Amino acid sequence: MKKVNRDVLIDASTRLLFSMKGEELDTLLEEFSILTKQMEMMKEVRGIEKFEPMTFPFDVSNSYLRDDVPAEPLSEEDVLKNAGNVKDGEIKLPKVVG
Amino acid sequence: MNFEAVIGLEIHVEMKTRSKMFSASPNSFSRKPNSEVTVFDMAFPGTMPRLNKEAVRMAIRVANALHMKIDHELHFDRKNYFYPDLPKGFQITQQRRPIGSDGYLEIRKNGAKKKIGIERIHMEEDTCKQTHFVDYTLLDYNRAGVPLVEIVSRPEMHDGYEAMKYVEAIRNIVVYSGTSDGKMEEGSLRCDVNISLRPFGQKEFGTKVEIKNLNSLKNIQEAIEFERERQSALLLKGEKIRQETRRYDESRGETVLMRVKTDAVDYKYFPEPNIVPVKLSDEFVEDAIATCPELYDSKFERYLALGLAEKDAEIILSSPDMAAYFEGTLPSGCEAKEAANFLITEINSYLNKKGIAIGELGFDPLELGKITLLGKKEKLTHRQCADILFKCLDDHCSIDVAKKELHIEAMVDDEGAILSFVTAALDANPQSIADYKAGKERAISYLVGQVMKLSKGKAKPSAVMAKLREELAKR
Repeated sequence: MKKVNRDVLIDASTRLLFSMKGEELDTLLEEFSILTKQMEMMKEVRGIEKFEPMTFPFDVSNSYLRDDVPAEPLSEEDVLKNAGNVKDGEIKLPKVVG
Repeated sequence: MNFEAVIGLEIHVEMKTRSKMFSASPNSFSRKPNSEVTVFDMAFPGTMPRLNKEAVRMAIRVANALHMKIDHELHFDRKNYFYPDLPKGFQITQQRRPIGSDGYLEIRKNGAKKKIGIERIHMEEDTCKQTHFVDYTLLDYNRAGVPLVEIVSRPEMHDGYEAMKYVEAIRNIVVYSGTSDGKMEEGSLRCDVNISLRPFGQKEFGTKVEIKNLNSLKNIQEAIEFERERQSALLLKGEKIRQETRRYDESRGETVLMRVKTDAVDYKYFPEPNIVPVKLSDEFVEDAIATCPELYDSKFERYLALGLAEKDAEIILSSPDMAAYFEGTLPSGCEAKEAANFLITEINSYLNKKGIAIGELGFDPLELGKITLLGKKEKLTHRQCADILFKCLDDHCSIDVAKKELHIEAMVDDEGAILSFVTAALDANPQSIADYKAGKERAISYLVGQVMKLSKGKAKPSAVMAKLREELAKR
């Protein structure tokens, strides 16, 4: 597993276009340290390699499917409320392709 | 050295459900941006996906039409990537267990049938629509969450024609099963092509190039043919093919580099924790298949059995509305071939002239069937029937009113009556008889005209022509 250190977090935040402060990086590093330790503990369980990782804690399924009935959508005003920049009803952002 | 092209296609089809794949947001292709969006589509925290029953039903129908094994347990996965078109930061798709696997379809090439293998069909959600301008991008989330089926072929096609026929066959299936409108130009059916070249006889594949977002059957064929030549020329020069993504520039008729693929993107797929596996009952799957509307191939065979020529059947089936209209004429008891002729020529020319679609015609197909019957029943010519049709279309009147206003009466083909008109015409035109005898074929056309004049247009032209030749031979 890739070791999570300060450089990895800075690289990831740059790629995700987040600007992170030093103390935020410290908090994250601390959290990752706990997670990593917990993962290490898993390795101590014998025979674990024989099992596929589970998504759900027990074997679960259902047969529910939603009927194809449209509901009232959000108002355009609400949809665009969090957008920093809007043009002609669309969300405007810096060009994302070259 | 000659090279064999190896081609595989990935097709995304937008399903025409009333609501989206995992949310109840309307899915009606609204032209107003960001007007069909719910909190789930915008990835508001705490919102949960709820799978659309109709989308599952449609996917089953397509899988069945493609002779696939249908998974009775639905599993979904997250495909993770960060991009503005995807508010959640991941797309819900079916990576591990597609709803359909291991199928095929048949295309026709040089009069023979060829099977093309299909690896998988899976359900997923569409991303939002991005419009790129010189220095900014606009986002419309109406498309975010629209239900998609992705159909992935095996790399078993070898030229542009086969690929074009394959896409055409897929389009026919999704359109006639009622899954999609299949409009490539509007993006409801989108096609990506993977193409590589290898020396004939070699088993290993060459390096593949992807051509993205081809939006017409013509462009698919042209882009592949261009790419075959481009790659072939590079290989003959001893150069290597780079793994890259290209697009087709229609105006230049060539593929253009978009980006070089340095390494495979790791989407870090994992099972979607917010949708537990969904078990489909046998009854649900069987009902979805049993209630599927009649598909293109079945209709095509049926139309041929009704006496239509292949070309005519293809023209009518090129539009589901046209096919429905054609079938609407049949309860009148008309001959299918006759109705098809009127539909392909007169109705189509009328639609073109008015700039309308057949759905906007506002004329009961049963009435068209009745008009085509007038030829036999009332001995009217095709031209007269067509005049009645156009009168009905223009004036929104009944067949009887159109006939009355056009003063259309039955054609005379009684032998005695025709003979009297022919005799009168010949007696009055000795010079035309002489011309005809001298080998001037045009003279007979003039004489036909004279007979029609004498009969006030009621004599049946074919009967007139036959009788004229008979009588001219006697003189």
